[in-house]
Amino acid sequence: MDAGRIQKELKEIERDKKSGVSVQLNGDNIHRLTGFLEGPKDTAYQGGYFVVDIKLEDQYPFVPPKMRFRTKVWHPNISSANGAICLDILKDQWSPALTLKTALLSLQALLASPEPDDPQDGVVASQYIKNQPLFQRTARQWTEQYATRELASQDDEKVLSITSMGFPREMALTALESTHGDVNAAINKLLESC
Amino acid sequence: MEDDSDYEDSYVASDVEDYPTSEDGDYGYDPQTEPEISMRRAAYTVLSEEELKLRQQEALQQVMQVLSISEGEAVRVLRHCKWDVNRVNEEWFADTEALRDKIGLVDEQPTGSGRRKESCGICFDEFWVSEMHAAPCNHSFCRGCWKGYVHTAISGGPAVLSLRCPLPDCSAAVPAALVTAVSDPKHREKYHLYSLRSFVEDNQRLEWCPAPGCENAVEALHEVSNEAMDVTCRCGSSFCFNCKEEAHRPVDCETVKKWIIKNSAESENLNWILANTKPCPKCKRPIEKNQGCMHMSCSQCKHEFCWLCLASWQEHGERTGGFYNCNKYESAKKRGDYDAESLKREHARVSLQRYMHYYQRWAENDRARSQALSSKAEANDKKLEVLSEFVATPTSQLKFILDAWAQVVECRRILKWTYAYGYYRFGDNIPDEDTAQKQQQGFFEFNQGQAEMFLEKLNGVVEKDLDNLVEEFKREPGLSEVAPDGSVFVDQASSPERQAVWSKFREQLIGLTEVTRMHFVKLVQELEKGLDQLLAFYSEQPEAEAEAEVEPAAVSTAEASGSATPAQQATAKAPKRSKRSRISSRAAADKASNSAAAFSLQEADSELEAEAGYWQCRRCTVINRDLNSQSCSMCAQNRRGPISAS
Ligand SMILES: [Zn+2]
Ligand SMILES: [Zn+2]
Ligand SMILES: [Zn+2]
Ligand SMILES: [Zn+2]
Ligand SMILES: [Zn+2]
Ligand SMILES: [Zn+2]
Ligand SMILES: [Zn+2]
Repeated sequence: MDAGRIQKELKEIERDKKSGVSVQLNGDNIHRLTGFLEGPKDTAYQGGYFVVDIKLEDQYPFVPPKMRFRTKVWHPNISSANGAICLDILKDQWSPALTLKTALLSLQALLASPEPDDPQDGVVASQYIKNQPLFQRTARQWTEQYATRELASQDDEKVLSITSMGFPREMALTALESTHGDVNAAINKLLESC
Repeated sequence: MEDDSDYEDSYVASDVEDYPTSEDGDYGYDPQTEPEISMRRAAYTVLSEEELKLRQQEALQQVMQVLSISEGEAVRVLRHCKWDVNRVNEEWFADTEALRDKIGLVDEQPTGSGRRKESCGICFDEFWVSEMHAAPCNHSFCRGCWKGYVHTAISGGPAVLSLRCPLPDCSAAVPAALVTAVSDPKHREKYHLYSLRSFVEDNQRLEWCPAPGCENAVEALHEVSNEAMDVTCRCGSSFCFNCKEEAHRPVDCETVKKWIIKNSAESENLNWILANTKPCPKCKRPIEKNQGCMHMSCSQCKHEFCWLCLASWQEHGERTGGFYNCNKYESAKKRGDYDAESLKREHARVSLQRYMHYYQRWAENDRARSQALSSKAEANDKKLEVLSEFVATPTSQLKFILDAWAQVVECRRILKWTYAYGYYRFGDNIPDEDTAQKQQQGFFEFNQGQAEMFLEKLNGVVEKDLDNLVEEFKREPGLSEVAPDGSVFVDQASSPERQAVWSKFREQLIGLTEVTRMHFVKLVQELEKGLDQLLAFYSEQPEAEAEAEVEPAAVSTAEASGSATPAQQATAKAPKRSKRSRISSRAAADKASNSAAAFSLQEADSELEAEAGYWQCRRCTVINRDLNSQSCSMCAQNRRGPISAS
């Protein structure tokens, strides 16, 4: 993978702080990054702070980055169970001239304009179509409950508490993912596999 | 386009002349090696990888010239139109802009000066513009990024053939020349392969030969329909152009598909049948079938029996109605006192049994066909040479043995599929009142049985009899024997005795090959025309019409045969009234006999013999030229009667 391009991408995101998206490197591993984006204004997601797991394959940027919401989101095109995203530019419409920044901005745009006809989460999509007020209420509720900077940094603290024990950041992330954020369970799991 | 058959014919004819390969007589069908029996013959040609590339290039050149476009553009247009040059012209001239838009052809954009630096939109590094590449849209990227883009797309599969500019929202097609310019040899080769595959796979008239390792394709020389079309590749494998299964005419593709699915569904129940051994019906010792012929003899007790029905071979042919009948399926007789449950169980058992009957015969003929194929190869590789010395005859004159094997191979294939046909054509239990169905089944099974009987005989003669003969020759070798008194050479191979034995065998085998072929021609005809139509033809045609139809053909044959073979002369000499008299005698017999189907079988038989100009003894298989005689000139066997013991 072209590390030079990733460095340039990160530099560009750093430079343009107003965009409302950012990317953070997880230690030395350039295959696993964390993205952050602010909920778009005048939507149920306004004021929310969303965390996105990013995985890059060796062929990046010729294949799309793999992205998934770590923050729970109520949205027709995002799985309410595991954060999987249905977005064309993350699949066949990807172009190597696109970047992590443009991809995160597209996620922001997706939050602003859902496409219930191409749903990832059928339950949410049907609610979106049949009961718009209820959908808006639920989405706002989830945003207030889950999409907070506190949780995001707590999440970061959890990772830190594991890495401080000497485990690499990537292993910490994987373990936390599999235990749904339970630090003790994650540590036990890591210790067992040692 | 108007569907005018005359136009169609001339179109095909001129098309054929355009193809260099066909001038070499390079059609898939070769009467010398493949005794093709099907009536409807397919026009097609076999193309090697090289020929395919040439053909693809021809299409490209044609489109480039007519539309004045680049090769890269021509590839796109042709791919879009499934490599149909006519369709390209139609779509292009109907709405050029719409078509160009749809497939991403853009006008070449000005490049400007190469003597400045620009940032590559993928790696964000700076490059001299002259070192960068772009599709005609002129969105430049550095060579390294192009390479990564193209390689990833090639690894992703044939979709790379529709590759577009990497810039989001630019739909310009990436020309093949650019793809090959930036890719390494391994990826380039893969790209060319995709391109050739698209030429064959998108093209309605082309199909790859499905034989493993074969890289030829078959091209239909006419509009393709979705009917079965058997073709034979240069590699020797035959397949159906329409459904890609092995060649299966005269049976249609639908039946084949159903049958194959059925077989895989029933395969567990049938595993035991696939076992290679069966107990001898007399001494119960296991016997392995290692030759193609169904006439078995137990190595222990010497009992001779039929592998299919396990009946003794002597009785075979006369037990019911005087003809070979182990192809017939007699469904189990139902007794009246079954309760519902056992009736259901009985029904399931009967229907599985019925299926197994057909399956077993299908599978056995399939296996026998493979055996015949390897026997033919073996004969070609060594047996003929050995034989050539024993009978002082050049191998070129022993080709009739290979012809006989080829006939066995082809007949086994047809016979095999007639069992799939029979399974679907006639239901589990045809009610007694459905006389038409019963008659059709009887008619079909008789002809199938006749064909099968001759095939078994042919297989036995070319296999066992020939082997026995060779063994005999081996026991009295003496290619050059030294007499006790000095150096007198006795040439056993060309002795009159041996030559007589050999010439008798030769005549028998050639005759048997021909008779077998004719029986299969009949069977195929029957299935392709439809049993109901054929039976209707035999039973309902008014005499005058029947005669009118027969006579002109017979006359023209007679006129045309200035130097006809004896068989042709015989055909011409065959009594013109035969059909008429047969039909009227049949009508009479119909009233008297309650076995109409069996009767029409004899009719069918005489007709076949009249066509051939001889009848063959069912006991000793000698050819009898006298069509009026009723007993064999060699062994006095009755022409139609049960086979008498020797
Ligand atoms: Zn570049
Ligand atoms: Zn472009
Ligand atoms: Zn082939
Ligand atoms: Zn077919
Ligand atoms: Zn035995
Ligand atoms: Zn039998
Ligand atoms: Zn005889």
